Amino acid sequence: MADHNLDSLDPMAFTRLIPTRESHFAAAEARIPADYPANRLAAALHPAYQHLVVSEVKAETKDSRVYTLVPDGDMGCTSLAYFDAGQYLCVYIEEGSVVTQRPYSILSSPRDSLCGFYKICVKAVEGGFVSNHILENWCVGTKVRTSAPLGEFTYEPLRDCENVVAVCGGSGITPILSLAKAIAEGTEELSLTVLYGSRLEESIICRQELDILSEKCENIKVVYVLSHEEKEGYERGFITASKIKKYAPEGKYSLFMCGPEAMYKSLEGELSGLSLERKQVRREVQSECFAPAPDSPVSVNITVKAHGELKTVAASGKDTILRALEKAGVAAPSHCRGGECGYCRSRLVSGKVYIPEGLDMRRLADSRYGYIHPCCSFPLTDIEIEVFPKR
Amino acid sequence: MPQKRKLKYMAKKYDAIVIGAGNAGLCCAATMAKNGFSVLVLERNSVPGGSATSFRRGRFEFEAALHELASVGTKEDPGSVMRLFSYYGIDIDWQYEKNAFRVIADGDGGYDVTMPAGIEDFCREMERSVPGSFESTLAAFKLGAKIGAGFNYLSSGNVDPQVLFSEHADFLRAVSHSVDECLSSLGMPKKAQDIFKTYWPYLGAPTSEIDFAHYMLMVDSYIRKRPAMPHLRSHELSLALEEVIVKLSGEVRYNCPCEKILTKDGKAYGVIAGGEEIYADAVVANCFPDTAYKSLLDPEAVSERALKIAGARKISSLFFSVYLGLNRSAEELGIKDYSVFLFDTPDSGEQYERSASLDTTSMVVANCLNCAVPDSSPEGTSTVFITTMLREEAWGDVRPEDYKKLKNKFAKKLIKLYENKMGISLMPYIEEIAIATPATFARYLGTPCGTPYGYELRGWDTMLCRIMNAKNEQAVENLYFVGAHGERGDGYSTTYANGHSVGEKIAKGVQKNGRS
Ligand SMILES: Cc1cc2nc3c(=O)[nH]c(=O)nc-3n(C[C@H](O)[C@H](O)[C@H](O)COP(=O)(O)OP(=O)(O)OC[C@H]3O[C@@H](n4cnc5c(N)ncnc54)[C@H](O)[C@@H]3O)c2cc1C
Ligand code: FES
Repeated sequence: MADHNLDSLDPMAFTRLIPTRESHFAAAEARIPADYPANRLAAALHPAYQHLVVSEVKAETKDSRVYTLVPDGDMGCTSLAYFDAGQYLCVYIEEGSVVTQRPYSILSSPRDSLCGFYKICVKAVEGGFVSNHILENWCVGTKVRTSAPLGEFTYEPLRDCENVVAVCGGSGITPILSLAKAIAEGTEELSLTVLYGSRLEESIICRQELDILSEKCENIKVVYVLSHEEKEGYERGFITASKIKKYAPEGKYSLFMCGPEAMYKSLEGELSGLSLERKQVRREVQSECFAPAPDSPVSVNITVKAHGELKTVAASGKDTILRALEKAGVAAPSHCRGGECGYCRSRLVSGKVYIPEGLDMRRLADSRYGYIHPCCSFPLTDIEIEVFPKR
Repeated sequence: MPQKRKLKYMAKKYDAIVIGAGNAGLCCAATMAKNGFSVLVLERNSVPGGSATSFRRGRFEFEAALHELASVGTKEDPGSVMRLFSYYGIDIDWQYEKNAFRVIADGDGGYDVTMPAGIEDFCREMERSVPGSFESTLAAFKLGAKIGAGFNYLSSGNVDPQVLFSEHADFLRAVSHSVDECLSSLGMPKKAQDIFKTYWPYLGAPTSEIDFAHYMLMVDSYIRKRPAMPHLRSHELSLALEEVIVKLSGEVRYNCPCEKILTKDGKAYGVIAGGEEIYADAVVANCFPDTAYKSLLDPEAVSERALKIAGARKISSLFFSVYLGLNRSAEELGIKDYSVFLFDTPDSGEQYERSASLDTTSMVVANCLNCAVPDSSPEGTSTVFITTMLREEAWGDVRPEDYKKLKNKFAKKLIKLYENKMGISLMPYIEEIAIATPATFARYLGTPCGTPYGYELRGWDTMLCRIMNAKNEQAVENLYFVGAHGERGDGYSTTYANGHSVGEKIAKGVQKNGRS
């Protein structure tokens, strides 16, 4: 039987460990690589900010404009971060004491970003702060700061069906337009059927581009649905299960939805008629939550700590905590503004908040340890909160 | 439940500033806070943990990194992690697995075995798979105990060379010889050696380079003390540690990268973060030394020796992970194992060699968290987490426009490989998918090539060498490095321990020298 011991090995080898180590150091070059491929790629895809400038403004409909954004060489920006069709840019706005940001889906194609431009479409929102600010102020030459492309509303070939039916409303067409372009350019491989709901014919955004794409590319079909107008060549009414069935391809498909809250509400009941599995239904946030608890308080105090500074601000219980802070000039962080990305994650030190059903997408441990997403939390009492804005 | 704490103003001067809230950074800060220090932790990301985190997709919350946490043990028989957490007053809802691992190796001399935890059971199962291997396997574990004793003796600070060489000879052999050398010397049959080396990916270096002492400590910590998982993913662990710091009046700031480490006359005295100068008696960096030398320190503050030390070392393994949220339960899919290693050859050296290219997938680990934490995803669903390790050379320049196709192609290969080897279908049930490449880890961790493993363990750069020589390798006075790149290498239990011990060292030192 073999002896099971280490006797054949020399314990004195131990004494050579440190000398050997030192000899490796002595022989090495006093230099560390400047960069690594994986870090280069990460930096190219996810710059902290992008400094851009408006190069073109095009009136799209009565209440929307398409802005072309290019790198701002004066600010040291020379190229744009590449992205996946469906992603958005967070646009930073500083106006008076208010510092805020909003996500806008990129409607140009990923390839366009390599050619040096992004396009976004801004539609007026009644009472909206940022959209109206942009529409009133942005012109050729306006300097704009944005985030890197963000968001998960993308086509995933290992997850999604080869056929996608996209249901869009209003400016919700933008990420799908980018996807359609990516298909036409060979960047993405899928067949796309778009059901695009608008109020009137004249409120259809990017009509011309959509028509050209569907003409040129047999993998792209576009159906226009008008809710407030009867016209030949258009579907009439809201987008329903029966309309989806009418245009959906044979077999399995994924349903991508992007539009205003009202569209999601009206589709809710319709989905059950389509017998889709949950994995086949994808939905972009694209709208903030404006639905506080019915018994929300009229006014509360928010004591907020940011950058180590304390401040107490008066707020309405009807505003999300994020909005309340922004209105008070506190630069709180946010990206998606819909509860999903977690970037606004803040520490609730004391007080109670209301999180509308379906919007609580926190990590489990965050809920346990008192972290909230202020973009979809409403104060129910006076609260103390710590936020972590980037400087 | 929100904590009952009061907000307070932030000070501009701390006893210590910790750059990075990874495992080691958090533990270092928590230990210093326990010692009455005022600490400030700066974290670039919006969450703590570094690798030790989780993320959400749809109705799933994925574990980002942890496969199994070594050295947890039970309340009755606590391991080092449980003891450290008790010291902090942290109570984690631990969930245990039945088995240590299953390993399937293809090729000549291949095998499919499931190894239980517990030394007796492990050795018995080894004997069943490889007759005649019981004694040598048991001998390896017995050496494990001697190795532990040797480390304790060495770190007692009172070492008599005579005693060391006479009473700890096996320890000395084990720290100065590789896993391969020692297992052969033990007379372990080849196949048993191969099975015994299954854990090498957890250290990310070939078994011809990893010293037997380090490997044995790790295997021992997995097999003797029961490995466990936190109920609410790694994020639970990171938040529990963060809470200790905050409750002891420490500060943790997120989205707050450190931009500069301030030095004067070769001593660190503070940092710049968020555009302001903040001062401290000690600065602890949880980021890579390379990163600090390149972008945080003034070039004059970095000695030639520090650069040579960094230059001599190689970046450890890179990761490529696929996270799947599936719309069927583990039972429905037929998944029974929590953790499976899939090798395309039984030889660990070859497994390592082949990980130098994206064309081969010689080493894959697949985990189904539901088998360890049944309610870790909603009823009727499950998650599968497939990881492969790559050597630095495997990830070359990828153009941004080629990235999505490349990562999906490679992810598909991994999923297919799992499906084929396990006879389990996943593809039709993918409800959510996330793919993390070296670029993803580089984005979140900021380490070279995104490695979560620090510097590769080499025969000349073992844990013991790093510990023994630590004093001679400090680059800047009052600046300490903690993390996977530190003395004990990668892994949760080791980075926790590393952070804790450096925290204690600083606390003692500053107490001795008095605070400025
Ligand atoms: C896919 C995967 C699987 C793994 N499986 C296991 C396993 O099963 N078991 C196990 O034990 N280990 C496992 N590991 C390894 C383990 O996660 C790591 O070794 C360990 O977490 C490293 O900890 P660290 O302390 O070095 O911190 P890191 O995780 O490296 O974190 C460093 C932190 O510092 C921050 N930082 C860096 N620079 C700055 C700056 N300038 N300013 C502010 N902040 C900064 C980073 O953002 C990060 O949060 C796995 C890792 C991965 C990725
Ligand atoms: S901003 Fe995305 S979750 Fe709040």
